[in-house]
Amino acid sequence: MGWGMATAVAAAATAEVNSSHRAFFASHCMKCHSEKTQEGGIRLDDLPLAITTIETAERWQKVLGVLNAGEMPPAEEPQPKPDAKLEFLADLSQALAAARKAIGDQGQVSLVRRLNRREYRHTLRDLLGVEVDTSSLPADTGTGSFDTIGSGLFMSSDQLEQYLAIGRTAIAAAASDWPKPGDTKPERKTERREVETAARKQIEGLLNGYFLGGFRKAKEWEAAGADPDKTKDFGFPDKHEAKFRIQAYENHGPYLEHFLAAPHSDKGAWLMYAANNHHDTEAITIPPAAPPGNYLLRLRVAAAADAPQVRRFLEMGTKGSKDDPRSDFETIEAFQVTGTIDQPQLLEIPVRVTASGPRTWYFREKRYNDGHADHFQNSLDKTKNGVGRDLALWIDWVEWDGPVPSGTPSVVYEQVFGGLAKKGPEGQIVRTILRRFGKLAFRGATPANDFLDRLVTVYETRRKAGDEPLVAIREPMAVMLASPGFLYLADPLAAQPDTERDGDRNDGRNDNRDDDDDQNTRRLSSRELATRLAYFLWAAPPDAKLLALAASGELRKPAVLAAEVDRMIADEKSHDFAAGFTHQWLGLDRLDFFRFDHQLYPDFDESTREAAKREVYETFHRLLADNRDARQLLKSDDVVVNGLLATYYGLDDAGTPVTGDAFRVVKLDPKSPRGGLLGMAAILAMGSNGERTSPVERGAWVLRKLLNNPPPPAPPNIPQLARLESKPVTTRERLRMHQEQPQCAQCHRSIDPIGMGLENFDAAGRWRTEEKFYGRGWVVKDKVAGKVVQQSWPIEPAGAFHNGPSFRDFYELRDEIATAHGDAFVRGLIENLFAYAIGRPVSFADAEAIEAMSQSAARDGGLKSIVQRLVASEEFQTK
Amino acid sequence: MNHALSMSRRTVLQAAGSAVALPFFDSLGFGRRATAAPAAARPKRMVFLGFGWGVTNETWFPDGKQTGKDYTLPEGLKALERHRDQFTVIQGLSNKFANEAHWGSTFWLTGANRYGEPGKSFSNSVSADQVAAAAWGDQTRFASLQFGTLDAGNSGHGPGLSLAWDSRGRPLAGLDTPVLAFHRLFSAEGTSLEERQAALTAEQSVLDAVRADASRVRRGLSAADTDKLDEYLQSIRDIETRLAKEKQWLTVPKPAPAGGLGAPKEGVAGKDEIKVMYDILVAALQTDSTRVITYRQPVGTLLKGLGINVAPHDMSHYQPGERMDASKKRDATQSELLAGLLDRLAAVKESDGTSLLDNTTLVYGSNIRSIHYLDNCPTLVAGGGSGIRLGEHVVVPDKTPLANLWLTLLNGAGVKAESHGDSTGVVKDLFT
Repeated sequence: MGWGMATAVAAAATAEVNSSHRAFFASHCMKCHSEKTQEGGIRLDDLPLAITTIETAERWQKVLGVLNAGEMPPAEEPQPKPDAKLEFLADLSQALAAARKAIGDQGQVSLVRRLNRREYRHTLRDLLGVEVDTSSLPADTGTGSFDTIGSGLFMSSDQLEQYLAIGRTAIAAAASDWPKPGDTKPERKTERREVETAARKQIEGLLNGYFLGGFRKAKEWEAAGADPDKTKDFGFPDKHEAKFRIQAYENHGPYLEHFLAAPHSDKGAWLMYAANNHHDTEAITIPPAAPPGNYLLRLRVAAAADAPQVRRFLEMGTKGSKDDPRSDFETIEAFQVTGTIDQPQLLEIPVRVTASGPRTWYFREKRYNDGHADHFQNSLDKTKNGVGRDLALWIDWVEWDGPVPSGTPSVVYEQVFGGLAKKGPEGQIVRTILRRFGKLAFRGATPANDFLDRLVTVYETRRKAGDEPLVAIREPMAVMLASPGFLYLADPLAAQPDTERDGDRNDGRNDNRDDDDDQNTRRLSSRELATRLAYFLWAAPPDAKLLALAASGELRKPAVLAAEVDRMIADEKSHDFAAGFTHQWLGLDRLDFFRFDHQLYPDFDESTREAAKREVYETFHRLLADNRDARQLLKSDDVVVNGLLATYYGLDDAGTPVTGDAFRVVKLDPKSPRGGLLGMAAILAMGSNGERTSPVERGAWVLRKLLNNPPPPAPPNIPQLARLESKPVTTRERLRMHQEQPQCAQCHRSIDPIGMGLENFDAAGRWRTEEKFYGRGWVVKDKVAGKVVQQSWPIEPAGAFHNGPSFRDFYELRDEIATAHGDAFVRGLIENLFAYAIGRPVSFADAEAIEAMSQSAARDGGLKSIVQRLVASEEFQTK
Repeated sequence: MNHALSMSRRTVLQAAGSAVALPFFDSLGFGRRATAAPAAARPKRMVFLGFGWGVTNETWFPDGKQTGKDYTLPEGLKALERHRDQFTVIQGLSNKFANEAHWGSTFWLTGANRYGEPGKSFSNSVSADQVAAAAWGDQTRFASLQFGTLDAGNSGHGPGLSLAWDSRGRPLAGLDTPVLAFHRLFSAEGTSLEERQAALTAEQSVLDAVRADASRVRRGLSAADTDKLDEYLQSIRDIETRLAKEKQWLTVPKPAPAGGLGAPKEGVAGKDEIKVMYDILVAALQTDSTRVITYRQPVGTLLKGLGINVAPHDMSHYQPGERMDASKKRDATQSELLAGLLDRLAAVKESDGTSLLDNTTLVYGSNIRSIHYLDNCPTLVAGGGSGIRLGEHVVVPDKTPLANLWLTLLNGAGVKAESHGDSTGVVKDLFT
């Protein structure tokens, strides 16, 4: 079916309403909307079937709208047969979807585009060796296309000012590494802290002071007759406070006593789980006296022997505001704790201290960022042990170590300031420095003379204001980082001879300019090619090797180019491509849209969701790096997971547990539903609202991303299926309403069966065999607490593709998609890679190239091969 | 000398204490109005407040059958009862091109077609506030101010950096915390006039430098390619316009915040954040620092601050139960905050005895009605700035363009404009 499917998709893309609907149109519309009648000012006789302009598209859109809404034909007129209406609506929707894509592509597409926020951050990192905060810039995402698509990347005056400000910060951060006269190396220090002393003191103080102290006084008051007028004698403003303090101790005291009496609490500190004031986080602070630089944080940690696997994860994070230590914990990373009390585990975590960044890192047991969730979990354990959440993680000691010498001296410093003549006119030296820096910043292009003149003026202004030379030079360098040569990927003069020859040796070689003079479709210069390649596979600038190959023209040789693609994919930086591309391609931002119900999905907290997202990126990256078939995204006999996800999925590796924080390949049991995108928690959870599954979202996602056959976007102003909302009926029952009216059925007959076939996965992507309907609140039953299940039904996943084969369960659904739709899937992937790499949507003119690549991929679907062919294509190498 | 002037203004303010009825500029005979007759009309102001995710359909809108003055304020607007003569609720407005159910603000004030420019998957056009800013901006230190929130991504506003889009349809950045807004308006630069002059000169030399590089890159580009570079060049010109304006205002010290408003604390969020922003908004208008303000409000942190444990997007898809309760609570809190704002605006008396509210057009609404509905956008207009009838519930024909209302309000406030966005005319129903 593969090839036939692909052709069908191509045909649909011609954006034409099938002429077979003429009769439908003539009999139901023309009486009132002909040239003569023009009822309501609407005329349809001159509406072309081929949708080639926005105007035509809009008129058809209105036709679709009134038919969908059931407004036309008016009730008193003869109504179309449901079947005919259904077919017409389906066809028209398809044509309009295709038209939108096609019309949106018209017009010249520019090669010039601004670096998006990710690329900008990476470019500063590669150039200066610093990580800067770019959150003040627009994210460049959210309009539904890739953040590499040039037309969506705007510039404004505010933004330009942000670039200047960030550029100054970045240069200042980099300059802190530059050697200064009389510099001494900062002394490396290690500071270890045994945590139990402070922890015990904190909890003892809390217990004996507020809780037990208050409890005893209140009891004395009770013993003395509980006179409400005498509370002040016992230190309470009124009787409510006195009674509250008795309660407070009874609620919290036992947990604190439990903590103090727990085994091994004389040698280390347990992490509690309850909220404020309890010892639920451990912190490592690098004191202000320690200079900025690279540091190592170390912790010696263990898990309790009886701690369940899901509770053996430590979370590291920062807290928002210095003023409010209780402000939200912001998770950075989770670590699996495999150590035991007898053999604790040493965690070593590199961090970077900057002038303005955080100096304190917090560690706690992995969990939701939600006090309600803490309270709930605490109550659950309390119903069992009478105390509170079982203690699971134990810390022996913590330490920091640094600054750790970076090993490599600052590249920028060497290349920009190295080997300069000690004497000479200051202006001349500054000029040389700025030209050298410009060549690095501008990815090999040489800054023009008049630009350098202006930069020297900027420098002189700073000097006059009293700056030392090495300080004054920062300003023009920062200005370069806000100038078009840095911010824009555009290199029209790459091929022109350099004009600047003063002072420094000029090693810029000229590219061979292509004979093709047509500015709109010329071949990229070698340097443009290097740049496009680097931002495609690294989301970062070309490195020295790539630029050298571009300068020598070698990069033009297909074998050299292919070898570079291999080298780049093998580089660590290709993970940024995998993450950036798959996140946007698969629409993973939807995962952050919802708050997951912590009572129903207690393990699906922020860290688990983050790991679930990474599974998608890492799986893609592994197929890329190992050149495995892209169709393995549909079905695979292994998965790429870390200890956290393996625990979440309940996977082991042929009987041995999967542990550790690094992602690795794990072979699956043949009966496992995992393996492939459809078995991934991130994908399945996106198709939910955090509480319940959404078969419609899932089904539409499968059509869009896996079958490459997108349904038209959901029309606005369609009522929700609210009628059955709070009633205990099955999801299948709920969706049956979609079949009631043709305007709903035309899309949902394709969407819903697929979504229903995925119902064995709950809203957080765990396997289930029953659907449950929950009431509000929760109860304790047989010492086990949980939500009230009002009713439950067995999952019935069986169904059929619209106009296609049937399936009995998830496995058959997945296998059908993997076998019959593999080619369509790969074509969709290629179209998306194409748009991402070249920075513009796929247009009609690209149909042939896409077709050729799809056909090659049918023979060799290796992901790296696909990327290689894309890079080798005429389209990639031309603008 | 300038320093002395600044001191004397401060002194006047301090002497007046926190008496809000301080006709600040008038008392000092500032600028062109020094010679204006006392009876001259006070300047008009415009304020747009956008709240992203829509409202609770069942409890926010007045009954469609009760129009005119005689209507019952529904539950969601109840908190505004004491102001009912000072605003009008309008039903039936929508934005015909809107098709993104999560974009409550992107096209709210523009009425643009996302696909309006061939070859682009996204385009926008000027927002109504910027039309007013273009007309009035030369009168004040800031042509317009955009207030926003760090919580925007979570609040159903859609793409954009604030509610405002410039004349070329590009997003304008906002002041996203009360601290930023306060300091932009009221904090002295802390340096001498000479230093500030030098700083402006230095900024200009930076712009000259990047412009020189822009012309290098631009050389040799094809016509189609220059589009993006022109955007950059335009950004330089926009900064220069700002610098020119700063130069013009260099010798005029920033005013002290009216009403004894102190610098806000870092990190306020949710309800307090909106309240503090409203205070700053009043102070900004009162000191005539600007006449046009938009505010893209937080929804996520508002809910969180109310102790509501429902994600904003989930709330907007309310069903009877916890989510609908959350949605209603949100409506009520926002109305309560708005009532407080109207109190403040009504309390500020101007030199001619009118109130600030009498001269302000204040719009409160969203492009999203509720859930995924984009028609009948919730719309409330308060204040006498545009001369529309107040104290009423007006139902206009279904699908009347929102842009018609913007055009009506602009014209009513004296801004000449023939059309705006997809407008088809003015909303005549709003005038007597």
